[in-house]
Amino acid sequence: MDIIESKTWVEWLITIGKFAFCFVPVLYILLLIPMERRGAGFMQDRQGPNRSYIKIPYFGKIRLLGYVQNMCDGTKLFFKEMFAPKGANKFLYYVAPAIPFAIVFLSPCVIPWFGPMVFEWGDKSVRIAGSIVDSDVGVLLLFGLSSLSAYGAVLAGWASKSKYSFLGALRTSSMTISYEVCLGLSMMGILLLAGSFNLTDIVNWQEHHAWGIVVQPVAFFCFLIASIAETGRAPFDVAEGEPELVAGYHTEYGAMQFGLFYMGEYSHICINSFLIATLFLGGYSVPFVTTETMQAHMGGSLAILFGVLAFLALAFLHLIYRYSAKLAKRAQSNKMEILQEYKLYKLIAWVAVVVFVALGVCAWLFYNPANFVVNGFAVGSLATAVGTALIHLLVLVVKSVFFCWVWIWVRWTLPRFRYDHVMHLGWKIILNIALINLVVTAVIAKLVGGN
Amino acid sequence: MLALVYFIILAVIAVGAALCVLLSRHPLYGALSLVVSMVSLAGIYGLVGSPFLGVVQIMVYAGAIMMLVTFVIMVLNGAKDKRTPMFDGVSFFIIPAVLVLAAMVGFALLRSTMTFDSATVAGSVKVTSETLFNMASTGPGYFLLFEVIGVLLLSAMVAAIFLAKRHLGSVISENTEDKH
Repeated sequence: MDIIESKTWVEWLITIGKFAFCFVPVLYILLLIPMERRGAGFMQDRQGPNRSYIKIPYFGKIRLLGYVQNMCDGTKLFFKEMFAPKGANKFLYYVAPAIPFAIVFLSPCVIPWFGPMVFEWGDKSVRIAGSIVDSDVGVLLLFGLSSLSAYGAVLAGWASKSKYSFLGALRTSSMTISYEVCLGLSMMGILLLAGSFNLTDIVNWQEHHAWGIVVQPVAFFCFLIASIAETGRAPFDVAEGEPELVAGYHTEYGAMQFGLFYMGEYSHICINSFLIATLFLGGYSVPFVTTETMQAHMGGSLAILFGVLAFLALAFLHLIYRYSAKLAKRAQSNKMEILQEYKLYKLIAWVAVVVFVALGVCAWLFYNPANFVVNGFAVGSLATAVGTALIHLLVLVVKSVFFCWVWIWVRWTLPRFRYDHVMHLGWKIILNIALINLVVTAVIAKLVGGN
Repeated sequence: MLALVYFIILAVIAVGAALCVLLSRHPLYGALSLVVSMVSLAGIYGLVGSPFLGVVQIMVYAGAIMMLVTFVIMVLNGAKDKRTPMFDGVSFFIIPAVLVLAAMVGFALLRSTMTFDSATVAGSVKVTSETLFNMASTGPGYFLLFEVIGVLLLSAMVAAIFLAKRHLGSVISENTEDKH
């Protein structure tokens, strides 16, 4: 009870507020599904699904760049009838899709979303960790949970009472077992260098030395391949390979049960891309700038942040203007509707540019908080800590979105591996490379004298 | 207080799942109950302040080993066992023996003057590895046990391969005999 009483209400507010990060993978689904569909369209030189619209009276149709299509699909899945095939094991059949989806909510708990917030409150300095669970087992917990999520696929395949589902389930379980080993071993090098399982410590090490991708390039590629394989996506989607197994373990599933598998898969991509960004790309740390420097020049940092946001809004505007100019020359029948829709986007983007620039200038001119250094930590006000956390979060999100794009990019570029090739790659190539990498890293670390 | 509530919840789940392992007639349900039991045991490990052990329990046992077990059950005949009776003549001796043993152990635990010191069980990664791999001559010497277990596992693996090979050979010869 003394732990509860020793904390102030601000600490409790932030600690409980951090639980909102559990929903990040689910929110990423909203981003990833349009990204996947329009990305696939982009790679195959077509438009992708963008025809559904919401009709707004006195204005016109709004398609939100294809988002409405995904809302329609989600609604369809949600309101479809749930059914089980004859002879299926009813209990396991209905429980199985919930397992990967439940684990989605647990897995973000160890990822550091921002650096530890250190600030003055009242007469004492407060430190709040960036991850929901600040435990020194850290990344191991994530691996334990992700190894449990394979039960969903395995049980689904078994309970469906279908040969295709069953084969898919067998392949899933063997894939998970094989690639979990590669994943763990390729990660060990960076853990050895940082000397901790705690992801906050690992990011801290990378911030003060070098990014993981620089010191462990081989491990990075092993980890990337193994984590793509672990999510069970192309080119490693032997568990649900359409030409061989119809749809693998979820052949018999429909409606929202299928939806849960689908969402589980995308959330898994989200978690894995956050993990790669954290382990090998410096996590929340801003490139070339340490947190201390950033906090010492908080106003300037915020100004740069708003500048970047304003630049992104301008880039979006540029795209819209270029495309509307092209469209105006065409003889497309729904030209006017689209141009009408684009007027709205232009308005929103211009407002955003003005707001971002104004905020940036204000931050630059009027926000220069004082900082003190206590025991080597920069201790500032709550506002400084929150500002730093926001910048960190944004940097992490940008890095992870890049890796999500890598997932989509790989899926629509490479052809599928055959099952025995996948096993060969996992056990005979990646595992050995990861082992050699670990030994070499250990020897070099010992010789150089780090840890 | 809060820890006690959590402990009771986890303990009830763990014991209930363990009973399900005993009582379920379907091997797959048995395996799944074992997974649930292991996960709640991991929760108890975390509760007494050694999250590392708990996470290793989830990763190794619930994640990897039980996945292999379910794999084997699914590949082999994973049907409900209706022939084996749950209780037979031997049960009359075994059930009282188990109950008496449990009573004795419980009595001994209740009467013993054990005090709970969270500092001694707190097994973070650092404490665990320092205890396990302490090679000083004055140390506990657990690393020797660790090495011995490694050799034991290796010999078990070699024996399993040997047995499987012999078995495979006989199956092949049987098959050829059938064909002739």
